[in-house]
Amino acid sequence: MKKLLIFLLIPNLIFAELLLEITKGSDNPYRVAIVPFEGSSNGVNNIIKIVKDDLMRSGEFFVLDEDMLLSSPEAIEDINPAEWKLLKIDFVIIGKVVDENSSGLKATYEIYDVNRRSKVRSSTVYGIPGKIRQLSHYISDGIYENITGIKGIATTKILYVNELIDGFGSTYILYVADSDGANEQILLKSNEPIISPAWSPDSKKIAYVSFETGMAKVYIQDISTGDRDLVLVNDHQISSPAWSPDGKLLSLTLYQDGNAEIYILNLKNKNLTRLTKHYSIDTESSWSPKGTKILFTSGRSGSPQLYEIDLTKFNTKPKRITFEGNYNAKGSYLPNNEGVIFVHRSSQQFQIALKYFDENFIRPLTESKMDESPSVSPNGNVIVYAITDDKLGMIAGVTLSGATFILPATNGKVREPAWSGFLR
Amino acid sequence: MKDNKKLIITYSFIGLFIASCSSVQVTEEAVYSDSVQSIEVSSSKAYETPTESKALFANATVYFEFDKYNLSTRSIQALKGVIELMKENDSIEITIAGHADERGTREYNLALGQRRAESVADYMVLKGISRSRLTIKSYGEEMPMMQGSNERSWARNRRAEIN
Repeated sequence: MKKLLIFLLIPNLIFAELLLEITKGSDNPYRVAIVPFEGSSNGVNNIIKIVKDDLMRSGEFFVLDEDMLLSSPEAIEDINPAEWKLLKIDFVIIGKVVDENSSGLKATYEIYDVNRRSKVRSSTVYGIPGKIRQLSHYISDGIYENITGIKGIATTKILYVNELIDGFGSTYILYVADSDGANEQILLKSNEPIISPAWSPDSKKIAYVSFETGMAKVYIQDISTGDRDLVLVNDHQISSPAWSPDGKLLSLTLYQDGNAEIYILNLKNKNLTRLTKHYSIDTESSWSPKGTKILFTSGRSGSPQLYEIDLTKFNTKPKRITFEGNYNAKGSYLPNNEGVIFVHRSSQQFQIALKYFDENFIRPLTESKMDESPSVSPNGNVIVYAITDDKLGMIAGVTLSGATFILPATNGKVREPAWSGFLR
Repeated sequence: MKDNKKLIITYSFIGLFIASCSSVQVTEEAVYSDSVQSIEVSSSKAYETPTESKALFANATVYFEFDKYNLSTRSIQALKGVIELMKENDSIEITIAGHADERGTREYNLALGQRRAESVADYMVLKGISRSRLTIKSYGEEMPMMQGSNERSWARNRRAEIN
C-alpha cells in the first residue's frame, strides 16, 4: 500500500515545478540547529523546511536533522550550551510564528551563538497572506547574513528561458522564479526564440532579445505591468542588452555597420554612443560593478576572447583579459570586482571558468561538456549556468566554496539563467 | 522593493561576567509584495518567403567550418545558380539567414551567423548583384537544421540559407 502511494505521488512532484537538488556541499560548513518554531498555524513546519533548504543550498551550512535534537528550548535562557557543543552545533535558532489573520504571518526568531554563549540576533518578519515561502526566505537571509556576514540570496530571483518542443514546433517561454526554482511565473511566451534576458539594476524591469518579428530585436518589459517596448527601431538586428549599474544606460550589440559592434544607449534621450570599431565580432557586453568599465567578447585576435574598455579614459584601446585557449566568451564581473566569470573552451569541452584580476591563470569551475550562460548571484557567492545535452537543458549552480546543485528541468530545454539583484 | 520597513539597530552591552563585548543584531522587516504580468506574443510568420521562390532556391544553402565565416570553393559553386537566376530576373530579392552550431555562446553565435550571411552577401555583390536586393539576418544557434550534439548535426547547422 505504501509503495503504491509513492508511485502515485512521484509523477506529480516531478511535473510540479523546477525544484532544486543539492549535489554536493561545502567541506567545512557552519553547523546550525533549528528548534521547531512555536505556533499553531499549519505553515510553521513548511517554514522550517524552506529555511533549512535555503541554508543547505548555500553550500555553507549544515542543518541538524530535527530528530537529532536533544532538547527543544523555548527561549534563549533555556539553552544548555554543553548539550549543543556535544552535537558540534555552532548556532541554535529559536522562533515563533503568529498568525495575524488578514495581515498574514508574523515570525520572530533569535540566533544563539553556542561558542560565545550569547544571543547574536533577534528579528521580526511580517509576511504577506498566502506567501509562506517569501516569509521563510526572509528568515533564511537574516540567518545567513548574521552568521556569515554576507547578504543572503534566498529572497532573490532568477530569469530563464525554456524551449518546449512538440510536433508543431517550438514554444519559447521566459520565466521568473525564486532562486530555489519555486514560484515559477511566465513573463513572455512566444513561438520564436527568446535569448539573453537581463535584469534592470532595481529588478523591476527586464531586457531580452526576441525573434518575434523574424529578426533579433531587444525589448524592455516591466515585470509587474507587462508593458513592453522595442529599445530602438531600425531595419537591423539588435542583441545582447546589459544595464549600467545606475539603470540609465543600456549597452547593446548593433548590426547596422554590417558587423556586430557594441554601442551604449541612453535610455532617456535615446542617444547612441559607439564603443567598438573593428571588422571582427564584438558582442556580449557587461558592466563593471561601478559602471566604469565594459567587458566584452571580441574575435579580433582570430578567436573569441574577453576584452575590457575603460569608460573613464577617452578612446583607449581595449585591453585583452583572457589568453588561455581559443574560446573565452560571455564574461561578467564578480560583484566585488575581483575577477570575471566566463565560458571557456578546454580541448573539446565548454566549461564555466573564473579569472581573478591578480592571477595570471584561469580557474575552471564546472566539468560538463557544454556549459554556458554563467550568471553570478548578487552576493558573488554562487554562479548559475546552463547545461545542455541532446534532449534537455538544465540550470546548474556552483558556489565559490565548492558546493554544487541543479535545478532539474521538468521538460524542455531550460537555459539562459540570469540572477536578479537583491530584492530584500 | 525599497519601501519595505527595515530597521537594523545594533545594541552593544557588556556582560557582567564576560570580559569582552558581545552584540545583538535586532531587525524588523516586512516581506515586499511583488506581482508578475504574463504576456504572449505570436509571429504571423508573414516574414517567411512564399513557397514559390523557396522552390526556386531550394538548394541554396552553404556550409561553414566551426567559428569560421569564409566561403569554401564548394559554397561558391552552390551560389553560382542563385547569382545567375538573380541576374536573369531583376525582381528577385532574397534573404540570407546565417546560422551557427550549438557550441559556444548564443550571442557570439548570433554574431557569427550574421558574419556568415554577410560573407555570402559580399560575394554576391562582388559578382554584380545589387546590395539593395539582399536582406541579411542571423538566427545564431537558435534554429538548428538537425537536432543532436554530434559532428554530423553541427556540420549541417553551420550554414547560411538563401530564400
